[in-house]
Amino acid sequence: MENTITEQNGISLFFKNNLGILITILCLILMPFVISLIDGQSIPSLLANESGQSKFYQGLAIEIFILAVFALSYDLLFGFTGLLSFGHAMFFGVGAYLTGIMLKSFGWTLLPILALLVLAGILMALIFSIVLPRVKGITFALVTLGIAQVFYIVIQSREMADYAGAEIGLQGVTPPEFLNPIEHRLRFYYIGLVILFAVYFLYKRFVDSPTGHVCVAIRENEDRATMLGYNTFYFKLAALTISGITATLAGGIHGIYNPIIRPAIASSHFTIAALLMILIGGIGTLSGALIGAAVFKLLSFFLEKWFGGASQVLIGLVYILLVLFLPYGIVGTIRARSFRWKQGWQRWMKILRFKQPS
Amino acid sequence: MKNNILLEVQDIQTFIGQFHILQGVNVQVPEGSIVALLGRNGAGKTTTLKSILGLTPPKEGKVVFSGTEIQGRRSYEIADMGIGYVPEHRAIFQDLSVLENLRIAEREKGDLEKKEELIFSLFPDLKRLIMLPGTNLSGGQQQMLAVARALVPDNELLLIDEPSEGLAPVLIEEMMDAIQQLSAETTVLLVEQNFIVASRLAENYVIIEEGHSAKSGKMADLINDQETIRRYLEAA
Amino acid sequence: MKPLLGSFRKNRTLWITLCALIIIFTLGARGLVDNEAVGGERYQDVVITILRGFSTGSIIFLVASGFSIIFGLMNVLNMAHGALFMIGAYVGWTVFVRPDTAVDALVPILLLAGGFFLIPLWDRLLNKLKMPSWLMKTWPWLGLILASVVLIFTLPKYPITSWDVGSYQISPTNYAFAASQGQLVTPEPKQFLGISPLLGLGGILLGGLLAGITVAGFVISRRPATAGTSEGKAFPWETLSLFLAIAILGLVIHYYNTPISNFLLGLDSTLLFILAILVAVGTGALIGILVETTMIRPLYETHIYVLMLTLGVQSIIIEIVRSAWGSPEFTMHRPSIFAGTGEGCPAESLGAILKNNCSTIRVLGGRVRTYNELFIPLLGIVVLVAVWLLLQRTRLGMIVRAGVQDSEMVEALGINVQKIFTTVFALGVGLAAMGGVIGAPSTGLTTTLGDSLLINMLVALAIGGLTSYPGSAAGALIVGLLQQFVIKYGQIGINIPFMEEPFKPTPPLVPALTVFLMVIILLVMPQGLFGRKE
Repeated sequence: MENTITEQNGISLFFKNNLGILITILCLILMPFVISLIDGQSIPSLLANESGQSKFYQGLAIEIFILAVFALSYDLLFGFTGLLSFGHAMFFGVGAYLTGIMLKSFGWTLLPILALLVLAGILMALIFSIVLPRVKGITFALVTLGIAQVFYIVIQSREMADYAGAEIGLQGVTPPEFLNPIEHRLRFYYIGLVILFAVYFLYKRFVDSPTGHVCVAIRENEDRATMLGYNTFYFKLAALTISGITATLAGGIHGIYNPIIRPAIASSHFTIAALLMILIGGIGTLSGALIGAAVFKLLSFFLEKWFGGASQVLIGLVYILLVLFLPYGIVGTIRARSFRWKQGWQRWMKILRFKQPS
Repeated sequence: MKNNILLEVQDIQTFIGQFHILQGVNVQVPEGSIVALLGRNGAGKTTTLKSILGLTPPKEGKVVFSGTEIQGRRSYEIADMGIGYVPEHRAIFQDLSVLENLRIAEREKGDLEKKEELIFSLFPDLKRLIMLPGTNLSGGQQQMLAVARALVPDNELLLIDEPSEGLAPVLIEEMMDAIQQLSAETTVLLVEQNFIVASRLAENYVIIEEGHSAKSGKMADLINDQETIRRYLEAA
Repeated sequence: MKPLLGSFRKNRTLWITLCALIIIFTLGARGLVDNEAVGGERYQDVVITILRGFSTGSIIFLVASGFSIIFGLMNVLNMAHGALFMIGAYVGWTVFVRPDTAVDALVPILLLAGGFFLIPLWDRLLNKLKMPSWLMKTWPWLGLILASVVLIFTLPKYPITSWDVGSYQISPTNYAFAASQGQLVTPEPKQFLGISPLLGLGGILLGGLLAGITVAGFVISRRPATAGTSEGKAFPWETLSLFLAIAILGLVIHYYNTPISNFLLGLDSTLLFILAILVAVGTGALIGILVETTMIRPLYETHIYVLMLTLGVQSIIIEIVRSAWGSPEFTMHRPSIFAGTGEGCPAESLGAILKNNCSTIRVLGGRVRTYNELFIPLLGIVVLVAVWLLLQRTRLGMIVRAGVQDSEMVEALGINVQKIFTTVFALGVGLAAMGGVIGAPSTGLTTTLGDSLLINMLVALAIGGLTSYPGSAAGALIVGLLQQFVIKYGQIGINIPFMEEPFKPTPPLVPALTVFLMVIILLVMPQGLFGRKE
């Protein structure tokens, strides 16, 4: 089918298919300026990264971008390949801590760190995949939970305190000058935006590729995929590796952006947060991961701001209500609606034509 | 007697997830008879049985059992009204012994004692195996146990799904004899792939094709109707 | 000879597990005995470490068994199980050290619960009314709003003897210490804060009734229109009388609060401990019923959402505990029959324990704590046998075992599976809550209690086989033993060839090692030791 579409049509088709995302990108590009306009801040002062509403919201948006990349990686693993991992936060945690430690204690520059993060991501994916051929479903989740929990405990141990800062977290990391999140927040914002949507479109490409289709087939019915002649282990490993590298990189950005790297980002709660984000947005929909991350971050931020200590109870309640009343997530619900609407339309057309269903 | 309709399924529509599996199935089961549901694999025969029992509740349509509408009720309530179910693939409880498998089907204490004689006269093998765990039974014995389990309470109607599936020819004969004897006391709605078995057991038939009942009538007529058999039942 | 071989073949995993345990024992024991650093008292260390392993294993087992049965039967991974364990510990501890607070809290709970017992009655009445559908849909929400308004105005006014979580002086720990010294605090008569008692009590009762009607309304509006109703059944007198009994009980407790509190405060701590266990189990079971019927039941089909839901419940419970009890760590005293240190202690024989209520007993020249190292393992074994009997010898157990394999077929036999699910869920949570109280005197109370237990429990279940009952026992025991041996080695160190200093595993290595063991076992036996092959 793709062969018949000419180059120009391909581009216009791309715009047609991704209209929502492209509009979102445009809005996000304009967002700092719009907020500064509303706030009454002048454009030069915005460009000079002076503090104000705009800078604050840029910071919030950067955190959402990081979470969204993490949620995307989890969506690829769980939403598309059906691998339920409870240890995904380990990738993020390793990314953040490695970046922090390398910057602080060893004085590495960004490029070697980047290479190191990719290596670490691949390595951890291999560790997780040791049990992959033999263990399925919930047992895999428990194994990954166990492995990640060990990392979580080790990172907090006294023995590592010189490097990782024990329970308090890793402090005093000097980010590279051109990426300083305080002095060059606007630049950081746009870099984060570019990274997020680069990951998004790469993932979209992967999901639409033959390999991605096999991954979905594994999620739907692994035995059938095996019978069709696919070695499902390699496809699962591929998904795990890609998702692992992405999560590690997201952790790396987190490590540069945040003044303190807390051990909580390696805990199982953080994996669950990722799961929650894609559940809010809709499992197995890439745009759902983005929406989910935004809703999750904004919700927990504002609840914390308004209710303080009681916010955790409220967030828990919101989770339960979401799960009870919006079981397919935001994107999933929207899609299901339109799906039914289309079916109803077709039935209506049938009646109009007085045609018997064959 | 035979004119009394014990079970009537009227135009039921059943969805499993987003799939519209049954799109209008009509079945009438006269009291005291055996009715066979025929059709190709995946036509919706098993789903019809499950919809009657409420395991996959129908979205629209009616199921009337001895005068009361039962669609939309919970499965256990429907079963409690006197419908026994023998699922496909010999779904007995592997972890339970033969005795426990029978005991669990009791609706009131002492049901098993009342029916013991009937069950063991139909399936004498089971008496010998009574304390064995379900895993240790052969395929045929498991199938017999599955049928016997449905006999423990006083059921007016039995829904039997593929009783001959995967059985050796000798065992098929035995199973057919048992079902024939049963039909003297209860009504049976049978799903059967094996046309020879179905044609020998049943008096009436309903053919299900792609989720709706395509044809029904007397089994005696169907046997001679090669056209219908070719159209609906032979492998496509 | 032949039957022996046969039984060996049949129970292969059992024997393999036993052998593995024996190897762990002997290796661990040999390591301890051969270790130079230990000095003279060697064998007692082995015995005590094994007993401690059994103790830890027992607590893990109490939680894991319920979890695994729930998972097997309902396919629900109840991630809130650890938090429910914790709430069991906190509730039991409150009953144990401040029974007067527990009595105070009982009154509003009873009054509220009364309304819910009337649900079948409302169900019947509302069915007869035959309201228009728009009214059917809107009024439960109205009822919900009304009930919340009434409760918001009355419930906080109810005087529960509480303590400032930040201040140590009036904390229950301090109180418990004073009480153990013989200085009894007499609770003061309870007064409503700002409103007349009649209005307050009536308001709470009304709130409960409204909430009950609301729930009944939701139930009716969810039910398919053609479904059978309770028309043919007799008037539900029993629910009415139950409601009256509960409401009257609540009122009686309110008006005789002081004598009841004084009576409880004067009780021996052993009796209080038993009471604490009962209350905790009851609370756990109630929470279980509530969570199962209102949240899990609508979502059986979508397992991942149930998982998320239980995680939400977990975080809510932790936060509730944090706000009600505060975050400081509490300790719990052992009940009096395990706390004696006076004459004749440490006891020389089992009989002497019972006579002198000793806290320790002399075994092989070392001291073994009776509560931690004898009572808890014993209780674990009792529960193991009791639940096993329940599963094997009763009709409920038979249905559960059948339902683990195929709950749809069980339903098709005419058995109300949902009722069984609720019962089993309540039982499992009750067991976990009991584990919480039993474990509290040895572990203390923190708000992270549930988290660490949850991990241990999951590892134990992965080792033993997720849905297998003997598997949960074996897994719990292995995890308990491994942990205790590693902790022991952390104290004394292991001599490793080519290393000058003895190697001392640090506390972080304890969970690391159990996870390592889990990975190895799963590589060899992917279904766990006792799991069924798919």
